Amino acid sequence: MAMPVSGVPTETAGGPRQWGGVAQLPSGSALGRVGRAIRSNRKATVGTVLLVIFILIALFPWVIARDSPTQDAYTPQLGISTAHLLGTNHYGQDLFSQLVWGTRNVLIIAFAVGVATTGIAVLIGIAAAYLGGLWDGSLSVLTDVLLVIPLFPLLIIIAAYAHGGTTLVLIIAITLTSWSYTARQLRSQALTLRNRDFLEAARVRGERRLYIIVVEVIPTMTSLIVASFLTNALYAVLFASSLQFIGLGDPNTVSWGTTLYWAENNAALQTGEPLWAIAPGACIAVLGAAFALLNYAFDEVGNPALRPVRKIRQRKGAQMEGAQ
Amino acid sequence: MTSPPRAELLRAEHLTRHFKIGGALSHRTLHAVDDVSFTIGEREIVALAGESGSGKSTIARVLARIYQPTSGEIYFEGKPVSQIRSRRDRLRYSGLVPMVFQDPFGSMNPVFRVEHGVLRSLKLHRPELSAQERSAEAARVFEAVGLGADMRQRFPYELSGGQRQRVGFAQALAMRPKLILADEPVSMLDVSIRIGLLNLMAELRDTMGVSVLYITHDIASARYVADRLIVMYAGQIAESGPIEDVLASPRHPYTQLLLSAVPDPRAPLSAAGQADRGEPPKVIDPTPGCRFRWRCPLAIDTCATRTPVLAELAPDHDAACHVAQAGADQVKAFA
Amino acid sequence: MPDVPVLEVSGLCVDYVLDRGDVRAVDDVSFTLGRGEFLGVVGESGCGKSTLLFAVAQLLSPPARVAAGSVKFQGTNMVGMTDEQLAAIRWRDMSVVMQSAMNALNPVKSIGAQFKDAMKAHGAFSKDEIADRSAEVLRMVGIDPVHLKSYPHQLSGGMRQRSMIAMAMLFTPDLVIMDEPTSALDVVAQRSLMVQIKELQLSYGFAVIFVTHDMSLISHFSDQLMVMYAGQVDEFGTTRTVFDRPLHPYTQGLLEAFPSLRGPKVPLKGIPGNPPDLARLPAGCRFHPRCPHAVDKCAQVAPELVTLDEAFVRCLRRQDGSLPAEAGHEGSLSR
Repeated sequence: MAMPVSGVPTETAGGPRQWGGVAQLPSGSALGRVGRAIRSNRKATVGTVLLVIFILIALFPWVIARDSPTQDAYTPQLGISTAHLLGTNHYGQDLFSQLVWGTRNVLIIAFAVGVATTGIAVLIGIAAAYLGGLWDGSLSVLTDVLLVIPLFPLLIIIAAYAHGGTTLVLIIAITLTSWSYTARQLRSQALTLRNRDFLEAARVRGERRLYIIVVEVIPTMTSLIVASFLTNALYAVLFASSLQFIGLGDPNTVSWGTTLYWAENNAALQTGEPLWAIAPGACIAVLGAAFALLNYAFDEVGNPALRPVRKIRQRKGAQMEGAQ
Repeated sequence: MTSPPRAELLRAEHLTRHFKIGGALSHRTLHAVDDVSFTIGEREIVALAGESGSGKSTIARVLARIYQPTSGEIYFEGKPVSQIRSRRDRLRYSGLVPMVFQDPFGSMNPVFRVEHGVLRSLKLHRPELSAQERSAEAARVFEAVGLGADMRQRFPYELSGGQRQRVGFAQALAMRPKLILADEPVSMLDVSIRIGLLNLMAELRDTMGVSVLYITHDIASARYVADRLIVMYAGQIAESGPIEDVLASPRHPYTQLLLSAVPDPRAPLSAAGQADRGEPPKVIDPTPGCRFRWRCPLAIDTCATRTPVLAELAPDHDAACHVAQAGADQVKAFA
Repeated sequence: MPDVPVLEVSGLCVDYVLDRGDVRAVDDVSFTLGRGEFLGVVGESGCGKSTLLFAVAQLLSPPARVAAGSVKFQGTNMVGMTDEQLAAIRWRDMSVVMQSAMNALNPVKSIGAQFKDAMKAHGAFSKDEIADRSAEVLRMVGIDPVHLKSYPHQLSGGMRQRSMIAMAMLFTPDLVIMDEPTSALDVVAQRSLMVQIKELQLSYGFAVIFVTHDMSLISHFSDQLMVMYAGQVDEFGTTRTVFDRPLHPYTQGLLEAFPSLRGPKVPLKGIPGNPPDLARLPAGCRFHPRCPHAVDKCAQVAPELVTLDEAFVRCLRRQDGSLPAEAGHEGSLSR
């Protein structure tokens, strides 16, 4: 059975111009499709590989870092060597171990905040859009109030009020201050979907409202929801590390932000231990990049118009091949 | 030529639907549908024709109970539709009077396989079926609309526009309907594909006894499938009757204008009504009088003061026009 | 001096550069358009007519590109021209009218402001000159110049399309390219707009390329007709020749897919199947899987476009005379 070619615009009589259909991926199991999408897009491949590496490090830190991160048994301020890949810090702790073991804390925060934020935003944003009326009004007011309050100062206040944040406090604080932005986004997109014919068809055949929201609306928004998750995870990493850096985290937790905190406390950059400050920063940057790359890749997979176009060489003024 | 009278399936009486427009403080109302009465019989295809803004889509949505009428009543199988309250009754009605939508690209959820809508319809409306029976029934309706049973597992983007519209009809058929409300089902399809769907509608009427309310702006396609024609203008019915009668001798000047504008490659372009720019009014807080009077070459004084009502001018053939009703046997406004 | 044709397209091929290989959307199209000639390009989804139009107007953007051929506008090949060179021609000598005015017009600027933009982009004019010319083109299309202050959403669909045409007429170009400008309009507005376009064309003598899917509409206005299918030209000739004696089975099928408003009511078939996937074309003739007259040879040999009587046709059986002359005429063109 002939199908329209994806990528080539097809016109319908008097109707909208379509890019050969809505989805661009071949049918098959969901996992198979995701796998193919990742392999075909360079950004996705790099992002996934990086993220997988970090996840593995977080799950099995003892595999690559033999030393305990907190034990200050070593000679302080050693440079890079095979025994200590990143040297030791002022207290004689192995820096490499600290970073490796710290990955766990960072990823826990990233994923927990990502899931919680996105979950709340989905509930509130999409329900507001679909239910409309008074529900929409009140939920939107709630969202907007939180949206307007400056994020970072609020975080500082919450963390300080909780007398220094354990990981759980950090997760809660960041979630509470981040969900509103995503909720707004999801609500906007859900509003555009509200009058799509397939939703009206579902209403007309007698589906209940909850069913429509959960089964018909939310699955069509997966790409925005996944993108939100990745964005929120990324910002969670940055915010958590920032809070830990300024001393609002628990200084005894092993994490990249706390390592930075101790590095700053001991003026690492000035006293000739630059790695102490730079290495955790680099880790944060690389993990952030992994999330960001995945985010771009997801956008491109979902919306083919964003994909990089092969540069078509056209020499100015010259004839095209075979022309006359 | 009149066909034997059909049993009445649906009757609309003085159906009106207004919309408030403007902000919360405005008092303006859009009269989308005003005092419309018609019947649809069993085993018949009624074409509801008109331009954009004529109210035809609003009527479909009122019949589908997407909108409540502002006033007036709908009787389905003799019983008033406004009395339908319980979820069971509502489900029953929506199964007997389902809707097929215009946009083949928007009428199916892209995330699910195409059988999703059919299976859900079956689950909701025929709960006595087991999962296996549902699957068999889905296969049956897919075959009935001319799609192979193997197409059920496809995704919407793999289907062409015509195939998607057939799935739309399959979804309606799964509920064993009596009346299908087809809102411009072929307008967005290629010309060569339209005929296939029009033939399908005729087949549904002939072999399954399903009635169809075929909403369209294309009168030629209406002629091809429909038994009766209702012409709407500015929220009101201008003319209605057996389709051949209406097309052969249109009584209302608007009908004549519409017919003269339809391009027919077999005939030279009609000069009649060429000055008309085709701009039907948006009916906001209208005054009494015929809404077509500003474009009508035959308008008389009464047309500005009294709103015309539908009256029978020939057997079963009604028109709402003062001049036509005044007894002029052949009103020729645009001929 | 010999009359240089306004447009001479030669062997034009347009490819879409995709990851899995190039897809040829327009395959070897050639035609000539003289001064004041009206060419209708007819075809359905995926036939390449809009791509062809964009290629002629030099509006292709990646991943589409001209792979071969030339587009000579008044003797000069536009393919390969720089943007500066094209800017000199655009709007002054050649203009474009798009399908949907709501998409093409800027919704936040008044009509007059958009006319001003267009004029300033292509020459230095004083405020008065701009105002005068803007009012003049609006009057040309039958709109009161007071609407220069209106925003697009304040105008009706027909008036918006007319403003698009007025904008295209700002410099009375030699060639106006139109991409289905009437398809979003109702039938009366459509007829009115087409008549207006034709009147303008006859008064100002510009050539027109008009792309549409509605063959019956274009039949009254075009001088030449080009039927496209799957990226190729399948038939080409004067409008009357193509309508009275359609040579290609696809053209015949298309003509038969229009139910007639007058004359006997006959059951129609349309054209079974769907247009082919341009990335996976059938061997031999691209239309043969859907052709009622296909024979074995049609699946093996790809036909060329050759002259036959006064038309061009791409059909093996037509070319070797094995197709009976009356094939496909049943019921379609009886006058």
